[in-house]
Amino acid sequence: MTFRIAGRVLFAAMLGALACARSSGRGPSNDLLIVGYDREPDTMNRYATHILEDIQTGVIEGLVTTDEKMNVVPVLASEVPTQANGGVKMRADGGMDVIWKLRPGVKWHDGHSHTSADVKFTVDAINKGDWKPESTDGFDRIESVETPDSLTAVVHYKEVYAPYEMQFVRGTLPKHLLEGRDIDKAADYNRNPLGTGPYHVAEWKTGEYILLEKAKDYWRGPEYPKINRILFRFISNTTTRINQLKAGEVHMVALVPWDKVRELKSTPAIRLNQVLGNGYEHVTLNEKRFPPFADVRVRRALAHAIDRQLIVNTILDSLVTTVNGPIQPLSWAYEPNVAKYDYDPAKAKALLDDAGWKMGATGVRAKDGTPLSFTIITQAGFAIRENVAQAIQKQFKDVGVDAKVKLIDGTSISTVWFSGDFDAMLHWWQSGADPEITLFFAADRTPPAGRNINYLKDDALTKLLYASDRTVDQSARRDLLRRAQMRVADLVPELILYNTSKIDAVPATLRHFTGNPTNAGPFWNVHEWEFPTAGR
Amino acid sequence: MLRFFTRRAAQAVPLLLVVSLLVFVLIHAAPGGPLALYLDNPNVRPQDIERLRRAMGLDRSLAAQYVAWLGAFVRGDWGYSYADGRPVLDRLLERVPATLELVGTSTVAALIIALVVGVLAAARRGFDRVATGVAIAGISLPVFWFGLVLQLAFANALGWLPSSGRSSFGGGDVGDMLAHLVLPAAVLAVAHAAGWSRYLRGSMREALALPFTRTARAGGVSERRIVLRHALRNALLPFVTVVLLDASIMASGAVVTESVFAWPGVGSLFTEALAKRDYTVLMAFLMCASVAVVILNLVADVAVYALDPRTREAA
Repeated sequence: MTFRIAGRVLFAAMLGALACARSSGRGPSNDLLIVGYDREPDTMNRYATHILEDIQTGVIEGLVTTDEKMNVVPVLASEVPTQANGGVKMRADGGMDVIWKLRPGVKWHDGHSHTSADVKFTVDAINKGDWKPESTDGFDRIESVETPDSLTAVVHYKEVYAPYEMQFVRGTLPKHLLEGRDIDKAADYNRNPLGTGPYHVAEWKTGEYILLEKAKDYWRGPEYPKINRILFRFISNTTTRINQLKAGEVHMVALVPWDKVRELKSTPAIRLNQVLGNGYEHVTLNEKRFPPFADVRVRRALAHAIDRQLIVNTILDSLVTTVNGPIQPLSWAYEPNVAKYDYDPAKAKALLDDAGWKMGATGVRAKDGTPLSFTIITQAGFAIRENVAQAIQKQFKDVGVDAKVKLIDGTSISTVWFSGDFDAMLHWWQSGADPEITLFFAADRTPPAGRNINYLKDDALTKLLYASDRTVDQSARRDLLRRAQMRVADLVPELILYNTSKIDAVPATLRHFTGNPTNAGPFWNVHEWEFPTAGR
Repeated sequence: MLRFFTRRAAQAVPLLLVVSLLVFVLIHAAPGGPLALYLDNPNVRPQDIERLRRAMGLDRSLAAQYVAWLGAFVRGDWGYSYADGRPVLDRLLERVPATLELVGTSTVAALIIALVVGVLAAARRGFDRVATGVAIAGISLPVFWFGLVLQLAFANALGWLPSSGRSSFGGGDVGDMLAHLVLPAAVLAVAHAAGWSRYLRGSMREALALPFTRTARAGGVSERRIVLRHALRNALLPFVTVVLLDASIMASGAVVTESVFAWPGVGSLFTEALAKRDYTVLMAFLMCASVAVVILNLVADVAVYALDPRTREAA
């Protein structure tokens, strides 16, 4: 009897649920855009977070940002300081001064004016070091900040610092709110930060979503932002996220994995927006751990052994393009005329023969009794990478090189490469807009001092890189970086495969969406996004 | 009864201590740590990593970290999350209602299905054949796969139900909540009902083969009454034990189901904390799960003790 009642209750509940379910699918509009987002942020404080900052971008604005072409464009600054406009001055003592002119009339969401005191407070707070900002990069080269007037901040650097333009890309901290406080424990700010941006955090429902709502009196004018509310729903499972997009429960997914693009192509409500990325997929060759990689002939042979175009055409569905260097085509410092290593197994074999690696009976080359056999590690659960690693394994085998593939989970793999405890690794670097590559290739920047995990030691390259870091004049710096890129291509410290293009799935009717190649993220111009109001 | 209870409770304390030590050592032995994710960002320099390590207290010896953690934990200070700096207790508690909703619903549904199917399968041979096939399928289906298939069918193809989440934005009424609950609860219920019904069928079969049922039949008792009153009551004892032991695992959240359905419960918190190596959250979660297992085991023992007069005599 009890069972029967319980059964009826359950049945009734299910019917009720089905009746209500239809109402959930609403299309995107200027009132509400729902974004399926892959993870919940730890904090909304842009200086403390280590993950992409799409949600924060709508609330906290930088003095500058980078656009879809990777140009540095002013936001809260009235212009980007350069030597030409008098914003950057070299000092006789070897230091340099950067003069930031702030945009007048910008107010924090609580009505206080945004001033140079906030810039100074930000630098002081980060350099004081009594809390946990994620990165102090660049800040520790700042000696002091002067504020001659409320809209001018003069930043005194101890030394010449070429990437100065990006110093305040994460914005400023509001002095009037945070002065004298423990910023790590300032939950009010970290959960619901005071910003100057087009949106403010209206609600953060842990584990479910963050709702951004149009801020009052936005400095660009009352017509901005065009979309009233943006809801970021946290859906960590990729397949679920894509299912939600196809079902119309979410309207947009940023950074669609390449292997999910094909199934979205037939969804009419969705437009797939693709831009070149500022990152590159490559195989790191760890010379310290596997000494045969120290021979440039071996590295060149491995580069010739990989059919990159085949990998791109098949596994990646031609969604990416092959590249030949660490600085990507969108950068002003990009140099296309470098040594290239086309697929040429015969040449690969000849180079290996020449280096003393002779083919053995087992089909694996050996030298002095040591087989040319190593392990490529890559991230588990990243389907494309698992497939690319296997393709490379097969192509290496064709020239007598034995590569094993080992999959490691995403959290562990960072520790593994940081400790240098691997032979080779298939992975990418994603960089900010500045073309600095010193930390990846300078001889003294091996872990823990940097990310030169090829353990490459080349004096000529190291000198070029450090010289480029200390050159502010763009054409002079471009020349140094051009030579550095040519040197990297000659040395082949790593096997560079393809550019990591970025594909965002957005509503087909959304206007002014451009995507973004860098960590500025696709939300960099969210205030402009708009749906056509008539004819929907 | 009280002595039995206190004795078991006293045994649990050293057990939990050992568990806490083992769990602590194991999660710290896993490669990576709360700072591993920072390494991927080229702008985070080694000096920053060192600075953060000191700030988080991760530069101390493992023994010192364990003693500090244990001391604080028993005093009720569960510390702060390494990931977002909020109190661990807050992070856990805000996730509990969602998990109770999901696990509670699916347990009740699984119990109903298991009882009906298990009893019918034991009593009717024809039904048994069908039920066996379905149950084997239910046991074998990987939860994440089954969950995604249900999403494709009911959310994408038919459009009847929302694919995931706990509620629609701005539509958090009862109907909407129930609609969101159906698929994840169904996945969990099917997985458990399949196993439980097989178990109940087995013990029903045993009970029906016992001499007393023959006696009852000879005495003219109806088959329905024999099955439901006599055999079922005997068969329920082992069944209750299995259900309670399984429930102790479910109490720690349905880790896989919650992440497939973006369900904001403790299970998805665990998945997230594991990926970030958020040690304080992981420790609190695993300790709560251990306590739940101990308590529900105790409840299972007490239930059997109370239900079955024979165990009372033995004790």
